[in-house]
Amino acid sequence: MSYLDNIRNFSIIAHIDHGKSTLADRLIEKTGLVDKRDMKEQYLDNMDIERERGITIKLQTTRLEYKAKDGQTYILNLIDTPGHVDFNYEVSRSLAACDGAVLVVDATQGVEAQTLGNVYLALDEDLEILPVLNKMDLDSARPDDARAEIEDIIGLDASEAPEISAKTGMGIDEMLEKLVEVIPPPQGDPDGRLKALIFDSYYDSYKGVIIYTRVFDGRVKKGDIIKMMNTGKQYEVTEVGYCIPRTLPADELKAGEVGYICGSIKQVADARVGDTITLAEAPTDAPLKGYKKAQSMVYCGIFPAEGEKYENVKDALEKLQVNDAAFNFEPENSAALGYGFRCGFLGLLHMDVITERLARDFDLDVITTLPSVVYKVIMKDGTVLDIQNPSNLPNPVDIAHIEEPIVKADIMTPNEYVGSIMSLCQNRRGNMVHMEYLTKTRVQLHYEMPLNEVIYDFFDALKSRTRGYASLDYEFLRYQPAKLVKLDILLNRELIDALSTIVPEEEAMAKGRGICEKLKDIIPRHQFEVPIQAAIGQKIIARETVRAYRKDVLAKCYGGDVSRKKKLLEKQKAGKKRMRQFGTVTVPQEAFTEVLKLDDGK
Amino acid sequence: MNNRTGLYIHIPFCVRKCNYCAFLSFASDYETRAAYTEALCREIRTAGESMRESKKTADDSMELKPGIETVYFGGGTPSVMETELLAKVMETVRDSFELAADAEITIEANPGTLGTNAPAADLSDEYVILEKLKAYRKMGFNRLSMGVQSMNDERLRFLGRIHTAADVIRDVRLAREAGFDNINLDLIFSVPGETGADALRDAEEIIALGPEHISCYSLQLEENTPFYRMAESGEIREVPDEEDRDTYHRICALLRDAGYEHYEISNFAKMPDGRGRGFAYSYGDGEKSVNDRSPFRSRHNSMYWDMSDYIGAGLGASGFVNGVRYRNTADMDEYLNDRTGAERHKTADAGIDADTGTKYPSPYWPRADESHTNSAFDNISEAVFTGLRRREGITYSEAVSAYESCSSTEGREQSNSNREQSNKERFWEIYQDALREAQDYAEGGLLVINEQGLRLTERGIDISNGIMSLFV
Repeated sequence: MSYLDNIRNFSIIAHIDHGKSTLADRLIEKTGLVDKRDMKEQYLDNMDIERERGITIKLQTTRLEYKAKDGQTYILNLIDTPGHVDFNYEVSRSLAACDGAVLVVDATQGVEAQTLGNVYLALDEDLEILPVLNKMDLDSARPDDARAEIEDIIGLDASEAPEISAKTGMGIDEMLEKLVEVIPPPQGDPDGRLKALIFDSYYDSYKGVIIYTRVFDGRVKKGDIIKMMNTGKQYEVTEVGYCIPRTLPADELKAGEVGYICGSIKQVADARVGDTITLAEAPTDAPLKGYKKAQSMVYCGIFPAEGEKYENVKDALEKLQVNDAAFNFEPENSAALGYGFRCGFLGLLHMDVITERLARDFDLDVITTLPSVVYKVIMKDGTVLDIQNPSNLPNPVDIAHIEEPIVKADIMTPNEYVGSIMSLCQNRRGNMVHMEYLTKTRVQLHYEMPLNEVIYDFFDALKSRTRGYASLDYEFLRYQPAKLVKLDILLNRELIDALSTIVPEEEAMAKGRGICEKLKDIIPRHQFEVPIQAAIGQKIIARETVRAYRKDVLAKCYGGDVSRKKKLLEKQKAGKKRMRQFGTVTVPQEAFTEVLKLDDGK
Repeated sequence: MNNRTGLYIHIPFCVRKCNYCAFLSFASDYETRAAYTEALCREIRTAGESMRESKKTADDSMELKPGIETVYFGGGTPSVMETELLAKVMETVRDSFELAADAEITIEANPGTLGTNAPAADLSDEYVILEKLKAYRKMGFNRLSMGVQSMNDERLRFLGRIHTAADVIRDVRLAREAGFDNINLDLIFSVPGETGADALRDAEEIIALGPEHISCYSLQLEENTPFYRMAESGEIREVPDEEDRDTYHRICALLRDAGYEHYEISNFAKMPDGRGRGFAYSYGDGEKSVNDRSPFRSRHNSMYWDMSDYIGAGLGASGFVNGVRYRNTADMDEYLNDRTGAERHKTADAGIDADTGTKYPSPYWPRADESHTNSAFDNISEAVFTGLRRREGITYSEAVSAYESCSSTEGREQSNSNREQSNKERFWEIYQDALREAQDYAEGGLLVINEQGLRLTERGIDISNGIMSLFV
């Protein structure tokens, strides 16, 4: 019997909020190699933002030991996956490191869009899937319905799906027994040539980049010279070991095992997720398939706010980049906002996380401009430009046509909301590909939609129209020609480049009007009228006016209460600091991000 | 910093609460008013004693009572207090302080309240009112301030006032008869539903009554008032800013033409020569007449605008004494029953609480909800933004002297440096960050900046918060 028979490499997949992280915590608590107190510090004390949003962004990998009823002790390598569509590629690489997956379905909710999306990713990697029904401690749990949905919608046999509560710990032992039984042991030749998959990495200030890897063939130990097959970079291994989840050094990692490798690597971009590690001296013949360089889908400008230093922002962005290969930035200069950075993200959540970390971890005050997708601009002379900053759109007379990214959006919803979702998608230039009834009451809508329409507030609009019941999954499909124009905004007849957007020609008028109205509410009154204009080229298509002569006077000091008046003036002064001055017009910083949040629910 | 001191006495009682009012006031019974009088007298006595103490240490000449120049009974509605209770308070004031011979002693009285609490119901109302007013005169009040608000009965009802225009006309006549030769009438404009023409008619009718002083306020919707809730629910609509400002400027012009000096954002006082004075229209305007001042300016209120000391006595009253701004507790039970201040005053070092080390400005025995020792910068910024409320604005020398008079070390150290600097240079050194924006306002005709100092123009008043906030 091989050592491989006692290893199980698996992931937990689930829709957001279905209890994946809680289950992971519970498993570590039950079978982990660190004691409970350590575990809390190590595992839970991770990123505030993840905890608050209830989503896992950064992967966690943990080695567990489970003594099964057959008397054998099994090594369970739990490879956690990020829980958001923005990170689909990372999910797929994590799954590629596994041999099976535990599919967590919330017994109170049933199957959701991302449940399906993740299942498909797992099936793509030929994983055995063990469905489990979670939240069985809740009165609203309806396991039979959830089971039926798993069978009807996904086509998995759920008759023996363990019923658990990750929260209370109920059913966890049964689940582990089942896991050992259902999920196959890894295959691999420990004496073959080294072939290992990087499925995650992070930067540690002492050890450099720590690579999380699954070894498929061969073995790797300290002192080996390893080579990244796609980037071609070579490093000497300084340490290998297991993740428990903190690093526990070991002599070697061999085929079938999951662990970490360090090699004085300076930044995570040099150890990219999906790359194959082999030995420089005796390389394996071909890398593992599926490697992709992370592609930024969404861009925005990040500028130091009034009083914030450019250098501080730059330092922070650099620090974030060391640990996040999917995030990139370059200097940008805006006439309105000064020197800043154009930053690329996998998606909106990724963008939110980074900007929030700038505020929270680095205590920076930044202005974030409207997110933009990457447009392909085909010039009349045949050259193709990637434009991710609307201000950089070339003169329309030189452009042959523009193409925009289209995504495949899958929306799952209770059937009563179909009508309102369809009208929402139609407003967002969505094309319905087809619609299917997954069960009697549950519908999946398949749309093709411009990414541009998804990134603003589509998810919020979807949630609000369906009282939170609809779920969304999307992925990039293709570039497609579209009639697009640049919409400029002028304040007091001055162009504010940071407010320019690229919009579909037929919607320019409505969008322009919407933005002007919104700005009218956001911009405080001045002592003079402030015209707000939307323009395409030289043509003004919409106009609003912030009326002048605002009244801003306190008639009376209540019985000599000078302190009260002073507080009011101090507050006013502080409020002004959060404003940006454009010529003579003062604009609150939130204008740059709020302006496109047009509620099309009304 | 000024040697003058004022005394504000808060009477938090009203017959009923007006729909727009966010002041500290409520209905009361006689027991409460009597108990309140006791507490108030206790506080005033303590204030007088402790100020005498602090004076003694400063120059140990004699047992002089601290001098005060003005007394102001505000509210609420002081006139709902029984005359004998008011007399008791006034008596205590005289026992505790040395009132200047020409002290200005004001009482706020609302029309329609002077006839209430009648001792004998069979006497005619007019007689009761006159007797009450005479009694006020007798106890020393020489200025009467009446909350007229409007001369339109329907609007008065809407505001929640208990009086009519006829009551106003009668009460003013009786006040004259009782010997009041310094009368203020309050006017509120921009009442929801009111047009500019309505407001001007009110102003004209008030002018016709010939008061020496008119306070003119634009109605503000304050939280926790019936009007605020009505505006929230859409029941009433706030007068748009444009209309409000238009009305304001028309009222200013009307009062100026009627011979009043527009001497503070909301206050007007009669000029003996019958020639009105106003805020500058534009740069350079009114330079010559800026120092022509009406003798009927409220001396008490002026103390709020020139950094004078004022003692605030009573529930929730604010004061500024020895460089400390404070506000008394707003909790009636606490105010009536807490004697720790009096104890503290007897036992401990006059201005310091022995237990907590909290610095108390001097007088008050009630616990302060707020107490703040001004820094030099606090002083100058308050001098500037309160000074800007006045027609003459703030001079560099007043501002800088507020800065340097600060008792904290910060102020003193700085005052030792740069002796040869002019006040103007000194001022703009302190406010170098504000200079550019101030100049923008000046260029826009909203602010006058000259060799002497700064003052608002009449248009500058409209956005005065923005201008003042440059200096805080």
